[in-house]
Amino acid sequence: MTLAPAHVAGAGMIRFGKYPADVTLERMAVGAARAALLDAGADLTQIDACYVGHVFGGPVAGQRIAAQLGLDGLPVSNHENYCASGATALREAWVALAAGLHDVVLIVGVEKMTDRVAGGVRPDPGDLDAAVGYVMAAGHGLSARRYMADHGATREQIAAVAVKNHAHSVHNPFAQYQRPVSIEEVLNARPIAEPLGLLDCSPISDGAAAMVLCTPAGLRRLGLVAPGPRMLGCALVSGSVRPGTGDVNEEDVSRRAAEEAWKLTGIGPEDIDLVEMHDCFTIAEIVRMEGLGLIPRGAGAAWTAAGETSLGGRLPVNPSGGLLSRGHPVGATGVAQACELTWQLRGTAGGRQVEGARVGLSYCKGGTVNGTDGGSVTTLVMSK
Amino acid sequence: MPAVAAARPFREGLLKLTPPRLLGSRCGRCATVTFPPREFCPGCRAVEPITETELSPEGTVYSFTVVRQAPPGIEVPYVLAYIDLPEGVRVLGQVVGVAPEAVTIGVGVRLEPTAFGRDGDGTELVGYRFRAASEVTA
Ligand SMILES: [Zn+2]
Repeated sequence: MTLAPAHVAGAGMIRFGKYPADVTLERMAVGAARAALLDAGADLTQIDACYVGHVFGGPVAGQRIAAQLGLDGLPVSNHENYCASGATALREAWVALAAGLHDVVLIVGVEKMTDRVAGGVRPDPGDLDAAVGYVMAAGHGLSARRYMADHGATREQIAAVAVKNHAHSVHNPFAQYQRPVSIEEVLNARPIAEPLGLLDCSPISDGAAAMVLCTPAGLRRLGLVAPGPRMLGCALVSGSVRPGTGDVNEEDVSRRAAEEAWKLTGIGPEDIDLVEMHDCFTIAEIVRMEGLGLIPRGAGAAWTAAGETSLGGRLPVNPSGGLLSRGHPVGATGVAQACELTWQLRGTAGGRQVEGARVGLSYCKGGTVNGTDGGSVTTLVMSK
Repeated sequence: MPAVAAARPFREGLLKLTPPRLLGSRCGRCATVTFPPREFCPGCRAVEPITETELSPEGTVYSFTVVRQAPPGIEVPYVLAYIDLPEGVRVLGQVVGVAPEAVTIGVGVRLEPTAFGRDGDGTELVGYRFRAASEVTA
């Protein structure tokens, strides 16, 4: 089943990074929302509903934001799917537009982490993995170790993901880090969960990103005659309980997310010109690209080291710098990815522009659940 | 504080203490064994008959990491590994009795009970970890 696409009227974000404690979640969200509304040329009175993605924002964060933004009184919903929260908010907004419920909606992804998360993120305390000492970085260390053993990949090839993404983020004014790092810096960084070190891990960040999506009627309401990129759709799947002792890097959940995306949008893997990938850790970019079927199984590390996923390469991945360099305020990430796709498809991405980009895919993977191959996974497809 | 007599598993139905064994569930329809035990079979989605089954205490390391940074309250470093058991079950747990530099994929390990804190009444809670089958040093 294919739903009507949503038109992107506006995209905006604030620079990701570490903000002082007095820069509240609400204030960051308002900053991103104002930028998206300005980009869309939309007045507050033209917005029908708000979809807000966050994890650590607390009860009714979306309504707190709406009340500071001047969108109080509207339908406001809060969406939590861990690191896929922002993308899930986008998906639900798209569904509501396709259903004809609304014509112009605001989506905000926001997170204030630096004052409330230390030492890395972990599963809910009720999850069995948490009881035995699982932290997110450990899961990816386990993945990396096995990937190297199974595919003969080297530590240097995995580190190349960080080198590539930091090189891209030099051109992204919204990125938390905007300086290149060398392979030696990645290899010599403090170990976090071996074989992964500090520069293999995305940072704990604050930030917000926002989009204005609309129907064709909404475009007319906003007076937009030259419609911008379209969000063709966003698939959502969750990890499944995986009995047995199979490949920990099989990424069946990513394979299913890709299949759903192709089914929902009529786009195929051969159409994808660029990917904004959830590189919360270097190895994650590699195995998830393989899981999607966009890179042959076991080839992702070598592809990265050979520049195939760099700007100018066969399939650019994370021209924005990805989570590793743009930063990872978890609820904001999915919306920031969609902002980047918007700018890439408009051809306004400056020094990080993927030449001739017509179709882009963004991928989020949120959380872990004991015994499964993931929490939530989203695959969002946009076209020019 | 006086010793509390009745140590108990930190979660109901997950392990037994004498002898120490992890408890899984076995599907009567397709024979899939799962840990932790579930009320459905992830292989064929049957909800009955599902029975409790004791898992072998010996397994091998499928993959491992040395955790050197963790949120406050978790002491580092520690070795965390996926352990494959002969029943075709993979269990996540910490591995002791081996230097972090000496762990390898395929190394043999054995289940052992370990303290997982105390409950509100002071009763010792027992969890599980794995010990390298033969002492290995770097
Ligand atoms: Zn079964």
